[in-house]
Amino acid sequence: MSQAVTIIMIEDDEGHARLIERNIRRSGVNNDILPFANGTAAVNYLFGSDGTGVDQKGRALLILLDLNLPDMTGIDILRRVKENKYLKCAPVVVLTTTDDSQEIKRCYELGCNVYITKPVNYESFANAIRQLGLFFSVIQVPPAAP
Amino acid sequence: LLGLAFWSRGTLSRSGGLLEFPLLHDETVVTPDATRRRAIGQILLLAAGLVVLTVISAGSVYLVNRAREDARSILHTVEVENQISLVQLQLRRAESAQRGYLSTLRRDFRSDFEEAASKLTPALQRLKQLISDNPLQKRLVDEMLPLSDERIDEFRRTIELARTQRIDDAAQIVREGIGRDAMKHIDDLASQMRAEEDRLFVERTTGADRSQTLAASMTGVGSGLVVVLAAISIFLVRRSARARDDAEALLRDNNLNLEATVDERTADLREANDEIQRFAYIVSHDLRSPLVNIMGFTSELEELRADIFKRIAALSRAAASAAPAPLSAGDTELVLESEDKQLSQDFSEALEFIKSSIAKMDRLITAILNLTREGRREFEPVRIDTRELIEAIVTTVAHQAAEAQAQIRVEPLPHIVSDRLALEQIFSNLIDNALKYLKPGVPGDISIRGRTKLGFAIFEITDNGRGIDPKDHQRIFDLFRRAGTQDKPGQGIGLAHVRALVRRLGGTMSVSSELNCGSTFTITLPINWTTNKRNRGS
Repeated sequence: MSQAVTIIMIEDDEGHARLIERNIRRSGVNNDILPFANGTAAVNYLFGSDGTGVDQKGRALLILLDLNLPDMTGIDILRRVKENKYLKCAPVVVLTTTDDSQEIKRCYELGCNVYITKPVNYESFANAIRQLGLFFSVIQVPPAAP
Repeated sequence: LLGLAFWSRGTLSRSGGLLEFPLLHDETVVTPDATRRRAIGQILLLAAGLVVLTVISAGSVYLVNRAREDARSILHTVEVENQISLVQLQLRRAESAQRGYLSTLRRDFRSDFEEAASKLTPALQRLKQLISDNPLQKRLVDEMLPLSDERIDEFRRTIELARTQRIDDAAQIVREGIGRDAMKHIDDLASQMRAEEDRLFVERTTGADRSQTLAASMTGVGSGLVVVLAAISIFLVRRSARARDDAEALLRDNNLNLEATVDERTADLREANDEIQRFAYIVSHDLRSPLVNIMGFTSELEELRADIFKRIAALSRAAASAAPAPLSAGDTELVLESEDKQLSQDFSEALEFIKSSIAKMDRLITAILNLTREGRREFEPVRIDTRELIEAIVTTVAHQAAEAQAQIRVEPLPHIVSDRLALEQIFSNLIDNALKYLKPGVPGDISIRGRTKLGFAIFEITDNGRGIDPKDHQRIFDLFRRAGTQDKPGQGIGLAHVRALVRRLGGTMSVSSELNCGSTFTITLPINWTTNKRNRGS
């Protein structure tokens, strides 16, 4: 994984965020991880003050997205990311507690790249995140469209 | 929070709708009371009419009898007067016959006299008989009798004298006029009697008139009363008919309203149910998120524990040997002192409890999620060969049945139209339960029977297992509740799930069982279930 890739982690639960970060680090991924605890902050960062996302031009991003956010649903963020010409190439990993088949289907339809349900069993959870980290370390992420 | 808001809205709308019922209730309470009053009124009217008619009839009979008596007494009066005249006539005939004989001495005058004389006595007797009820007339007749006898004797004497050629003596007697006074006296008496009879006649005629007037007025008043009663009765009948028409119209309206109300309630209930489903889904979902943290950090703690006790062991060993050895990564098999070992064990025990509780909570949340998800699934009615379906289930549990030495008998079952998956879940849960809770050491005997009744199919799943205490019959259908010896794994979800499914399919279920005497679960399902019975309008 190219060192330039920044991981955007949109996760309202601080505990989850901490556990995810820890396990990603344990898998040997050292990229920057930018945590956002709510949707608004994440959207502001991703799309900038003008809402075009032009700030992200040329950057390589990987988005870790939770669906149940206090101020908006992750699905809205997913849709906006995939509709944005600068951001649509950024891989989006939906990491959430929901295992409802309707939700999963909808996310993939909107263009999410990976959908992972958080297992309550910590061993499975840690395992899943570590494998995700390993996955991060091998996948190629394109820079945002010029 | 979202779910809660929806829920409370549902509750409010339902309680608002309930306000309409007391009104309907009041109307139904008032109507029978009024009806009873009206019925009593009509009975009273009829009774009054009957009484009036009876009085009129009795009065008429009485008055007719009186009129007949009056007529009879008037007739009697006339008869008496007639008889008086007859007596006088016979006397006069006797007298004129005597005179005729005296002047002509013809024999036929003598026989005329004899005839008149012979008729006089019966006439007098008859008169006496007729007036026997009147003392005044009786006295007068008694007075008259000797006088008339005297007169007849005198006539007879003169006739006898004339016959024996002593005509002068006879003429002498007639001339003396002794008999004239007696005759006058008799006429006086007769006119007195006639006057008395005239008085009686007037009196009796007046009486008869009075009773006739009475009869007429009585009939008139009675008829008037009957007419009035009939009018009141007709008025009441018309009024009650109108009231009944009104009530019928009201009932029709109410029926229509009721239909609308039922539809409205059903929609409300369905909405409320959907909201509860959503609520349960959101809650169980949101509960999972903190659980991930608890589980995660507990596991992190577990790892920390290993590190901490490793350090403690190293430090205590260093202190003991007074020659601190550097900690190395390879020192994994460090031996803890007994006190520290105890601490480490307590630590592990606490963590184990936390982890097993979390695992249990996770299973419960998963169960709720599955139930709500099941509740949201759309049912699809298809024609099902129930026996085939159950035999397929029996095949899947054949292994468990063999282990429990149980036989499962499936008797002929009715075909029904229902949701296949729901039916599979219902019967497999019940058969699983029957196999699971057999009496240890007793070969199991499970039978599935079915019959139809009034558009419903009734299925009975009977086992000879350990049974259920009657006090637990309600409890076993509650979510997460179980009964009896807890020696089998389970969450207490199966029967709650089955009952929810049966209800959604428009059926009911019940259990009859005694401890150690086996159980029978009875499921009643509509033979032809259609989605619109439940999902109408949604």
